[in-house]
Amino acid sequence: MTNGQKQQLIRDRAAALLADGAVSCIVGWRQTRFAGKTAVCFVRAPEDATLLVWNEYTIPLTAKYLADERWTGGKAGILARGCDSKAINRLLRDNQLEREKLYIVGLPCEGKADERCRPCRQKTPLVYDELLWEEDSAADGGGTSAADADAPGRGRFFRADEVSALGIDARYDYWEDVYARCIRCYACRNACPVCSCRECYVDMHRAGFQSKRQNAADNRVFGVTRAFHVGDRCIECGECERVCPMGLPILGQTQKVIQTAEALAGAPYEAGLNAEDENFLGKFDLDDKDAFM
Amino acid sequence: MDKNTKLIQKTALPDALAALLPDYRVFAPAGENERLAFTRIDAQNAFALCLSGTPLMPPKELLFPRSETLYGTDIKTGDVSLPQTAGPTAVFGVRPCDAHGIANLDCAFLEKGYVDSAYAARREALTLIVLACAQIPYETCFCDSMGGGPAGSEGADVLLTETEDGSALVAAFLTGKGRAVKALWAAAGLLSDTGADATTKSANPAKAPPPCNLRISKDKGLAAKIAAAFDDPMWARFSEACLGCGTCSFVCPTCYCFDLDSENRGGTAEEFRCWDCCMFSDYSRMAGGHNPRPTKKERLRNRYLHKLAYFDERYGRTLCVGCGRCIGKCPAGLDIAAVIEWGGTL
Repeated sequence: MTNGQKQQLIRDRAAALLADGAVSCIVGWRQTRFAGKTAVCFVRAPEDATLLVWNEYTIPLTAKYLADERWTGGKAGILARGCDSKAINRLLRDNQLEREKLYIVGLPCEGKADERCRPCRQKTPLVYDELLWEEDSAADGGGTSAADADAPGRGRFFRADEVSALGIDARYDYWEDVYARCIRCYACRNACPVCSCRECYVDMHRAGFQSKRQNAADNRVFGVTRAFHVGDRCIECGECERVCPMGLPILGQTQKVIQTAEALAGAPYEAGLNAEDENFLGKFDLDDKDAFM
Repeated sequence: MDKNTKLIQKTALPDALAALLPDYRVFAPAGENERLAFTRIDAQNAFALCLSGTPLMPPKELLFPRSETLYGTDIKTGDVSLPQTAGPTAVFGVRPCDAHGIANLDCAFLEKGYVDSAYAARREALTLIVLACAQIPYETCFCDSMGGGPAGSEGADVLLTETEDGSALVAAFLTGKGRAVKALWAAAGLLSDTGADATTKSANPAKAPPPCNLRISKDKGLAAKIAAAFDDPMWARFSEACLGCGTCSFVCPTCYCFDLDSENRGGTAEEFRCWDCCMFSDYSRMAGGHNPRPTKKERLRNRYLHKLAYFDERYGRTLCVGCGRCIGKCPAGLDIAAVIEWGGTL
């Protein structure tokens, strides 16, 4: 099936869902006036469903918008790929969403024009009310083949691997350079589907956790806090990096947390595969060894 | 022959920057790709100059730093210390939109009886050497719809425009600060006559600038029309996809909001100011906790109305200069040009 055919299916289905009142709104993508750039949009009338697009540039996550307080009133229809579904699972797990207030239209993804989509292992949504088409396993683009996963810089933790390959002094310089260039616009935080605190600690600046000064030292406080705060819930969608206006390679931070957790646990770990699993930094067990205490 | 219009070869530009070094701190665009930034130039790196692109971060931070200490107080002695002023500064390669933006910042920081002394000292010491756009740097550029243009001279002390064959720049020295630059370049033997005859305007070698990629129609009555639409339901639509980050404000050449705070650093209590952003929730939160702009709809409306209406009401000019950075970098596809077009239809 071509992207054009998929787009038509999306438009037809969105119009039907809106027309019969199943949902009050469809969260999807529209074309901006610039080629190669789409944006999330909210379609409320059946006749506006023609705004919806599906192509290699429909990259932004739709799921983040569900955590907005606006949805407490009605049932939202959401176009969801694998990454969006992992985000939805995380938001459900964190009690940020109610499943019955969502109608999830699942869209198996063929991979998008973004290097962060390349290692994606979850092209078909994990949670949905209906799937509009089946995943085309022969589709070229996106996903990591077995051979690809072992190639340097091509695997699941490709960005973290870039940094790990450096010597320890070079790693320090790498992050100093990142934090010197950060402008603390918080786009990474705001685009992140698992950043769901009602009030972020950085907005409580009277509490003294985070200075509002923009400099490498205070930027580093934010970066490290963010890495640990969301690292174990990170669904590896890459939105933090995509939205960074400065082009900073920050996906490597959460990748490193996940990579380290897998190494310590000796078991695979991936957030958002379902809406029940505990996040590893947020759980405890009375039988945990507490040799450090 | 206009004595304040000369020709300078592009190959001479590193020498031109070097000629300024004894008298100025010199900044110019340097760096690859996303590292392109207004960079302090010294004799060693004057050759790293980039003429093709323009930095994402506008040069406003030379006047209005991201963070600056206003004064410090020694906790034990109570002695107050003031930061040193930086001295004469020349910035080369500023694009016309950003120079226009600085002219707008001047209104906010210097006019109507409120003079910001820290800004004023830096502004007095700053010389703007503006480079007209021989190529339009971003697909989102729309300065020529906003009262400026790719060869606009507003705010410029020196305006450099590429010649037809692209090998040289026509340098117009427009102000006293500009003529001080001219004297240094002339003394270094870098200037030649343009060959143009000012009386007949014949053979002016400067190439006409290309039009911007994005052309919109800005209504003459925009400020009044859009301010009157305060309660229009479109604000909710415009803000729907907004993520509430500070990208638009921080890449903007004319956003000038700041926060004041103090911190103890070592044995010194420092009063500082830093960039702030009206899209952040704590920006408009009152001491008692009330927030008059509780959601992104109110915040976004305020940001656009400040750019397009409130500033115009106070200073008679639109704050947005059409540099296009916020459109290009918005992770949610928000588009101030679309808001300007909509405002004109009201």
